[in-house]
Amino acid sequence: MPKFKSVEELRQFRSQVQAELEAQKRTGTTIIIGMGTCGIAAGARDTLHAILEELRKRGIEAQVSTVGCIGMCAYEPLVDIQQAGGPRITYARITSEKVPQLIEEHLVKGRVIKEWVIGRLKV
Amino acid sequence: MVESLYRANILVCTGSECVAAGALDVVQALRQEVARRGLEKEIRVGESGCRGLCSMGPIVTIYPKGILYCNVRPADAAEIIEKTVLRDEIIERLTYKEPESHQSIPYYEDIPFYRKQLRITLRNCGIIDPENIREYIARGGYEGLAKVLTTMTPDDVIEEIKRSGLRGRGGAGFLTGLKWEFTRRAPGDVKYVVCNADEGDPGAFMDRSVLEGDPHSLLEGMAIAAYAIGAREGYIYCRAEYPLAIKRLKIAIQQAEEYGLLGENILGTDFSFRIKIKEGAGAFVCGEETALIASIEGKRGEPRPRPPFPAVAGLWGKPTNNNNVKSYATVPQIIVNGADWFNSIGPQRSPGTAIFALTGKVKNTGLVEIPMGTPLGEIIFDIGGGIARGKRFKAVQTGGPLGGCLPASGLNLNVDFDSLRQAGAVMGSGGMIVVDEDTCMVEFSKFFLTFATAESCGKCVPCRVGGKRLLEILTRITEGKGTMEDLDRIEEISKQMSSTALCALGQLTPGPVMSALRYFREEFEAHILEKRCPAGTCKELVRSPCVNACPAGVDVPSYVSLVAQGKYAEALEIHRQRNPFALVCGRVCPAFCEQHCRRGELDQPVAIRQIKRFMADHELSKPWTPPLLEPKKDKKVAVIGSGPAGLTAALRLAQWGYDVVVHEALPVAGGMMATVIPEYRLPRDILQAEIANIERAGVEIKLNSKLGRDFTLDDLLEKEGYDAVILAVGAHASRKLRIPGEELPGVLAGVDFLKGVALGNAPDVKGKRVVVIGGGNTAIDASRVALRLGAAEVHIVYRRTEQDMPAMKSEIREAKEEGVQFHFLVNPTRIEGNGRVTGIELVKQRLGEFDSSARRRPYPIEGTEFVMPADVVIRAIGQNPETDWASDEELERNRNATLRVSRELATTREGVFAAGDVVLGASTVVEAVAQGNRVAMTVDAYLQGGKPLPKDEWLAYTDVPVTWEMEDYAEAPRAEMPVQAPEVRRNNWREVELGFSEEACREECRRCLRCDLE
Amino acid sequence: MVGEAQTAVEETLDLAPLDQILEEYKGTPGAVIPVLQRAQEIYGYLPREVLTHIAEKLGVSLSQVYGVATFYAQFYLTRRGRHTVRVCDGTACHVRGAPKIISALEEELGIKAGETTPDYRVTLEVVYCLGSCGLSPVAVIDGHVVGRLIPEKAVRLIRDLK
Repeated sequence: MPKFKSVEELRQFRSQVQAELEAQKRTGTTIIIGMGTCGIAAGARDTLHAILEELRKRGIEAQVSTVGCIGMCAYEPLVDIQQAGGPRITYARITSEKVPQLIEEHLVKGRVIKEWVIGRLKV
Repeated sequence: MVESLYRANILVCTGSECVAAGALDVVQALRQEVARRGLEKEIRVGESGCRGLCSMGPIVTIYPKGILYCNVRPADAAEIIEKTVLRDEIIERLTYKEPESHQSIPYYEDIPFYRKQLRITLRNCGIIDPENIREYIARGGYEGLAKVLTTMTPDDVIEEIKRSGLRGRGGAGFLTGLKWEFTRRAPGDVKYVVCNADEGDPGAFMDRSVLEGDPHSLLEGMAIAAYAIGAREGYIYCRAEYPLAIKRLKIAIQQAEEYGLLGENILGTDFSFRIKIKEGAGAFVCGEETALIASIEGKRGEPRPRPPFPAVAGLWGKPTNNNNVKSYATVPQIIVNGADWFNSIGPQRSPGTAIFALTGKVKNTGLVEIPMGTPLGEIIFDIGGGIARGKRFKAVQTGGPLGGCLPASGLNLNVDFDSLRQAGAVMGSGGMIVVDEDTCMVEFSKFFLTFATAESCGKCVPCRVGGKRLLEILTRITEGKGTMEDLDRIEEISKQMSSTALCALGQLTPGPVMSALRYFREEFEAHILEKRCPAGTCKELVRSPCVNACPAGVDVPSYVSLVAQGKYAEALEIHRQRNPFALVCGRVCPAFCEQHCRRGELDQPVAIRQIKRFMADHELSKPWTPPLLEPKKDKKVAVIGSGPAGLTAALRLAQWGYDVVVHEALPVAGGMMATVIPEYRLPRDILQAEIANIERAGVEIKLNSKLGRDFTLDDLLEKEGYDAVILAVGAHASRKLRIPGEELPGVLAGVDFLKGVALGNAPDVKGKRVVVIGGGNTAIDASRVALRLGAAEVHIVYRRTEQDMPAMKSEIREAKEEGVQFHFLVNPTRIEGNGRVTGIELVKQRLGEFDSSARRRPYPIEGTEFVMPADVVIRAIGQNPETDWASDEELERNRNATLRVSRELATTREGVFAAGDVVLGASTVVEAVAQGNRVAMTVDAYLQGGKPLPKDEWLAYTDVPVTWEMEDYAEAPRAEMPVQAPEVRRNNWREVELGFSEEACREECRRCLRCDLE
Repeated sequence: MVGEAQTAVEETLDLAPLDQILEEYKGTPGAVIPVLQRAQEIYGYLPREVLTHIAEKLGVSLSQVYGVATFYAQFYLTRRGRHTVRVCDGTACHVRGAPKIISALEEELGIKAGETTPDYRVTLEVVYCLGSCGLSPVAVIDGHVVGRLIPEKAVRLIRDLK
């Protein structure tokens, strides 16, 4: 881990991290779970566990990461799926029991579950 | 995964789906190609686990470039090695394409919740992993700090922040740059930077969101502030109720220290800065800066008078800069993008964005960041999606328990620090709590006072005692024990508190009650004068939400429970105590009770109206003779009009021993019930059965007897010896369109059209094109009647949107099913024709600002006029009372021709009273019944010299025990009403609704939650 | 009964872990609040003996420590239940039905808000705003936030607490 001794070091590190994160996103699937307090209150922790379990069962190597609150409290728990560098697709109210279907449809079959989707986010 | 030993790593996904799609062949083909070129030492072909892109397999990824190819075939192997691995070229054909099904998903910027937002302070929240500093750095994090440390002096930084116009996001709105300058100028070597993260305002959680979602932006902002003012130490005072925020802050601080972004010699410069976290211990007053500082020092968090300001003598007596989380978190963006950029957003005096926590009764609750100056209504209706469950907007409370509320008229306000303050609300912490018709503003004010008095530190008298007095008064009012003098007292105490309390908590405590009183005074008065809580919240005044919602106060849970037991006669008796028109209301009532039924919050409201109908129908064969309740009085009362108001009043007075004569102008009794409500909603024999009941009570109904034509008020009072007159003449004059061509033959008034049909001289609309103008129940009735008369096509044109239509939702749905065509956002400008109507010119409408009903006002769009062909035009844009039957000298009227009456329904002439539509304007049967009951009470009191016999016993509510196991009905869905099929019913006049079966009805009753027993 | 239980606890009070904390904060300015917070984590509440001990060791008067402990809502001077249920009655929760949840729980537990059941199973508290207004009404049950409550659901969750 770097301890930046100068501004140049910070900026160099930034470009390097950007490239790494970009490559990571471009070459696979990232699942992002909103884990602010409201997400957790709506059951995001159970959702996270269900996702990890489902991925393990199916042997899928997706990157799972957590983020804070994006502001749509009414739709928590929110789960985003981003694949191959495309936009993040946000699913609303993904409680743990919906997870197997979500993984099956979106990852395995490559189909969006229209009724659960609320939007796409260019990142 | 990336092994640098090789020049390139090619990984083929060998998850089960990819294998099924031929991944193993691809592996082989790639290996062969590598071998063919003799590159085994340089290029490695390996297998990877499933990437989760199963439908696009086989998936191949090529490192170190991180290129992903989909649907790779063995035949692609040579090209991949040749072009991509050796020449760094991308093979477009194999790259990931966003599937079409994804492309139809709207982007965030196109969905209403985000369209009007501008995320600056919240830019990273929900986007990055807050526990990973790398993601923050990747999004440009710490660039602001880097910039100030290497290219700006502390004075430059202060100048930049001042120029940006950033005002304190904690709510007070003081210029941040100026505050920094004060602290920088204050003498002393040791200075502190403090962050107020004690977000104590109920309903505000944006600070939490920043702390949890993007903690580094706060740390960076504080470091920049520390550099600017010359501090080496900072404190974040965070409330203990936010454990996750504290945890993430700790992680963030630790990571920033590890990376050399906090601590000694940051980024190799001689600037050093450390941040410590102080957990609050639960005291709202610590949001006040001097109290907060006392708390960090380990003392009771009591405020002290200022000056000296913390900028001069703050934490441990040293100069201290204190800002809110959002202020600090915004600073790095200003530094990176420049003051001019920030300054260009929003109005000049309040630049930048505002963050609101939108909560309460809106559909899209959440955190919203918008440019300052955005109209309040856009935040609530466009971003927030409007009110949930189809209820009506009532008010929005901003600024938390020390803020204020705004009614619908405030929806056009452009939100910023100054505009909100002028309107009696404040920006405060940014809580924005939307309330609907079910929130009582008196109880709401009491709630805030309960909070504020509990949080008062007790140090100064105005706050400690004044708050308590206010709370006592409000408690009294919510219990129905208040007096009108109490309202004056509230104002007095409030004024005193705001001018003499020591700190903002005490000064602002009266804010919510003052604004509620300013905008919702009539609601306070209803509690005091009528012992009524219109919203149905105040326990002492409310039997249950349904009873409270019923204008006539019918005891819904009791009769519903009796119907459940099959005791229909008893049930009906309870209904008739307050409303003699069960057969009618069981068919036509808009059922205010159902709109407020608590079951509706769980799933669907109880089908109260249909239960009522079954109950009344069941007893139809047993004629009711209303009992005489009091001795005969030897006094005569004349009632003018035989609608629901007049007949109810007549019935009550007859039951109390008066001689009552009802004068009806038309040849049929029943008013609008007989002449305007169509037969398919209310069969005439059903109506006449209920009128016959009232006649059996001894009421005489004189038909074809019209006030102003056949007799005058003077005749009744002076010649015919009546002791009192009740005017219940209704509102039969259809409003005019006031457009050219209105006088053409073929242009009809809605009420006249319906009346003609009811009285047997229906206008001929067979085979014609009928256009109805309006959005209320009369418009719908007219359109469905026209269909049944054989019109070729029927159109409804309405100037607003469908959801703004005042007509009953079920009526709109049924009309659509029958084939009525709706056109929204169009308004007539001219009726075309030459001797007869040939068409109607319409202009399209756009929605503008909000009106007092919280609906957007429609405006014509010039140049969008078009003509709709029409043979008949029916105007149904509302009704006013007719005015030809009495002169203005006799009776005073309001501007819409309704009569001016007292709260007790006395007109301006002695002995003359009024009830129903002539008082209310066009309304409903049940509202008319309620007025009939009320006016009867008033007349009784008048005729008994103010000492009527008590009615309390007769009107007392009695509890009916629950006879079923409520838990068995926890999941029971609402029973569906069988109806005639649309294509059948549009050709006949029989009732659309067919009624419940006995079994279905009694089961439905058991869905009632019996709120009356709480 | 309640009194007895309380004395029993006080008799067996072990001050050693408290001393360790006091050692940690020795000489740190503004230590009273964090020390009280840590002490409460150990004992569940702040018995008189603990307050006296803290005052002595930090060299401040007992009245000052007491003043701080009574000022902040976070500190408890009486014994608590094994489970803590904090129902939010912040504004957003209030308008979305928090009062009904509070009365349902009061009825279920047979106590008023702010009290502890006689068997020390549950302490019921009403708090103002937990910052999860978007999911109102909410409650925190032993540190876990639960949102979108209705009275029936809240009662069910309470029954599950052993």
